[in-house]
Amino acid sequence: MTRSVRLAARQALLEQRSFWRSAEYALFTFVFPLMILLLIGAANAGSYLPGTHVKNTTVFVPGILAFGVIVAAYVNLGSKVAVLRHDGVLKRIKTTPLPSAVYLGGLLASTVATAILITACTGLIGWLAFGADPRAGGLPTLTGGLILGIVCFATLGLAISSVITSAESAGPVAYASFLPIAIISGVFDPTFSGLPQWLSRMVAAFPVKALAQLMQGAYTARPFPAWDLANLALWTAAGAGFVAWRFRWHN
Amino acid sequence: MTDISVIDDVLPAATDGFAVQVRDLRKSYGSTEVLRGVDFDVRPGEVFCLLGPNGAGKTTTLEILEGFRSPTSGTVGVLGLDPATQAAKLRERTGMVLQECGFPRQARVAELIDTWRSYYPNPRPLGELLDVVELTEVRKTQVRKLSGGQRRRLDFALALAGDPDLVFLDEPTTGFDPEARRRCWAAIENLRRLGTTILLTTHYLDEAEQLADRIAILRGGRIELAGTTREVAARAGLATRISFTTPSALRRGQIGLPEGIDLAVRGPLSVCHTGNTALTLRQLLDWARENRLGDLDGLVVTAPSLEDTYLQLTGTDLEIM
Repeated sequence: MTRSVRLAARQALLEQRSFWRSAEYALFTFVFPLMILLLIGAANAGSYLPGTHVKNTTVFVPGILAFGVIVAAYVNLGSKVAVLRHDGVLKRIKTTPLPSAVYLGGLLASTVATAILITACTGLIGWLAFGADPRAGGLPTLTGGLILGIVCFATLGLAISSVITSAESAGPVAYASFLPIAIISGVFDPTFSGLPQWLSRMVAAFPVKALAQLMQGAYTARPFPAWDLANLALWTAAGAGFVAWRFRWHN
Repeated sequence: MTDISVIDDVLPAATDGFAVQVRDLRKSYGSTEVLRGVDFDVRPGEVFCLLGPNGAGKTTTLEILEGFRSPTSGTVGVLGLDPATQAAKLRERTGMVLQECGFPRQARVAELIDTWRSYYPNPRPLGELLDVVELTEVRKTQVRKLSGGQRRRLDFALALAGDPDLVFLDEPTTGFDPEARRRCWAAIENLRRLGTTILLTTHYLDEAEQLADRIAILRGGRIELAGTTREVAARAGLATRISFTTPSALRRGQIGLPEGIDLAVRGPLSVCHTGNTALTLRQLLDWARENRLGDLDGLVVTAPSLEDTYLQLTGTDLEIM
């Protein structure tokens, strides 16, 4: 058992090193969300949500927290695994005595590390630049949202990796399958509204808005997020089912 | 490092001391029979080559031995283990170089080998691995910057990381330029010197001839011939070729042809083929002495080559380099 943990940690370390050596991964995972945070945050600074005393940034910053978690867990892990499969690295792992679960555990541990780091950076910059900080007693909610977000979107990342057929399309497919939903979920614009009813129902069914609202609950008082939790749980279950059905170690 | 129990483990009675034993191996996909009763043995410490044209069933055979596919019927023993049911245990003692298996692009050479070493109970030292595959100079280079030949040698290093008793090499030099092939062969030569048993597939004749102690020619899902290069050629019924410079007296018709020898005079060169080299040579030299021709200038005796054997067996229309 301890050997498995040690091997997984070692794998995670190799993944982290590879991650930071690769400009495109580091750029898309860190620079992109932080740039959005600063640019859109600056445009929203000083304004309030219509008819309230709640600052726009108090809702916007946790939305970007959710965005960062999704980029790290879904986009990053999903495209990474697709590339590893396409390159035959997963197949090569199968030729060694390393148990598959330990290898995947290492990949997930590296994803967790990335997600925690991006969350810390986003939270810190949001606080320093826009004065947005979690409400009193909001930290457990934030931690819970982070864990659930990673679990749900890492599962969906593994699922989408099974659909991606080439290394070149891995990043674009992962981003394209999530960015439009992030936009209509209002992640980038706290005052976003006016969607037709069918579309806003659809948005509510996706897990992006659910995670954003969980994170927002750590910054402003909200009712207990029963629906958001159920939403993430259902998507996780669906993702896990798809992974069990379609996940392959080689093309 | 090795105690009695490990030694017991290495050579169980089931395989009669063979590293690999294959008996009447059959594999069908639907109604297509890919392997139709394959038999061969690989002895510990030898380089054994499965040679055959594309589609002969080489990779399928290898994948069954590696535990990636299960046979339709027949028995297979690898290091005394059944690959179909004991793959996990087998992985600790085998190394594999598969076709089209990539690396994590941003990993560095030494870092990657070291990670691979951590997967095995008794890894080979890192420095030794880098030496064997001649990658010490690029140990800090990222994998994506390596040349094709260097990547293949890194393949070898990863396959060797666990100090395996048996290494599978599936078409190790396909698509390489001559220099990359030569260095690849040198790495395989180094492996042999370490005492590693190697099971290699190839469709290159020169590769088999250069590297293998023994060869099995696989064609149409069956082993056509097996043995050393010489044995394979001899068993194919090919004749040894004897040639010499045509003596001027013979060219001018002043002397007759030797009796009992099917000698063809092709201008300056005289050639004959024989199944009994010693007898034919004696007859030829006797004939030369009787006719005062001396020792026959330019006398050359050529053993049948693997290429001759292979071409005769498979026909020249097949895809062969």
